[in-house]
Amino acid sequence: MQLQDKYRVAILSAYALALHGFEAMLPSPIPWLRVGLANIITLTALLLFDFRTALMITLIRVILGSLFTGTFLGPSFILSLGGGVCGTCSMGIMLLMSRKLFGPVGLSLIGALFHNAAQLFLAHWLFIQRIEAVLFISPLIILIGTITGFMNGIVAEILVKNLLKKESDSLHNVAQA
Amino acid sequence: MRRALSNTTIADRILFFILIVVSCAGMFYSRDALSQGTDVVIEVGGKSVYATSLDANREIPVEGTHGRAIVEIRDGKIRMKEARCDNHICMKQGWITQGTIVCLPNSIVVITGGGLNKDVDAVTG
Repeated sequence: MQLQDKYRVAILSAYALALHGFEAMLPSPIPWLRVGLANIITLTALLLFDFRTALMITLIRVILGSLFTGTFLGPSFILSLGGGVCGTCSMGIMLLMSRKLFGPVGLSLIGALFHNAAQLFLAHWLFIQRIEAVLFISPLIILIGTITGFMNGIVAEILVKNLLKKESDSLHNVAQA
Repeated sequence: MRRALSNTTIADRILFFILIVVSCAGMFYSRDALSQGTDVVIEVGGKSVYATSLDANREIPVEGTHGRAIVEIRDGKIRMKEARCDNHICMKQGWITQGTIVCLPNSIVVITGGGLNKDVDAVTG
């Protein structure tokens, strides 16, 4: 890994961690309801750079974030890790398969869906043995995940567009100078 | 915001609508499926002695600490039909579909409805 890649991963991880921590402080009507703001950074990294960068940012964010909030290796850490890795992988695979089919919004929706699916599966496998309880809660979780995933996708799209514009502007300026 | 919305591909929009429709349908479906299979648990002295559903009409004799009590299920409702205690608070409560009936002298607790599935909770971050 080159030095520039390390800087890039570090900065994006810092952004993701800040959003993760900010989100943990937001009051939430339901305890397990999270907007998944950090997913914006994962998606941006995936679109601007590559799958490896995005996965590394997710791992750093989940592990450091759980250390900061004091849930390292707890149940919520396992759910968070499984969901984060599965969501990132699903987005990466979809982007690998086709760059034209889905835009940032669609990718974010896929990521949110697989994130929630992985969490529900892990929750059923490790913590809640009653399948009907998991089945009862999953449509609600997937509905909320779709709405938040949609919003995150829009933010990521605006972010990526502005970053690319800034980059091309600065390149243009350099060329002129 | 509007430019970002107009930039979504057709597949994005299709996926969004499919997810919304499927999850809404799933919510209604799971609610219906659960309300039919409502559970009843009868406990004596904190131990579960009887587990059934509200679907079938029947009378269940329960051996309490003060003698026999009879729990009746009919038309998806449940009541304490007979109990050997002084004040009969449990019998006065009448028919219920959700919640608990407690017969304190007999140490009998009848739990029914959604209260049984509440062992779900996990916090994610």
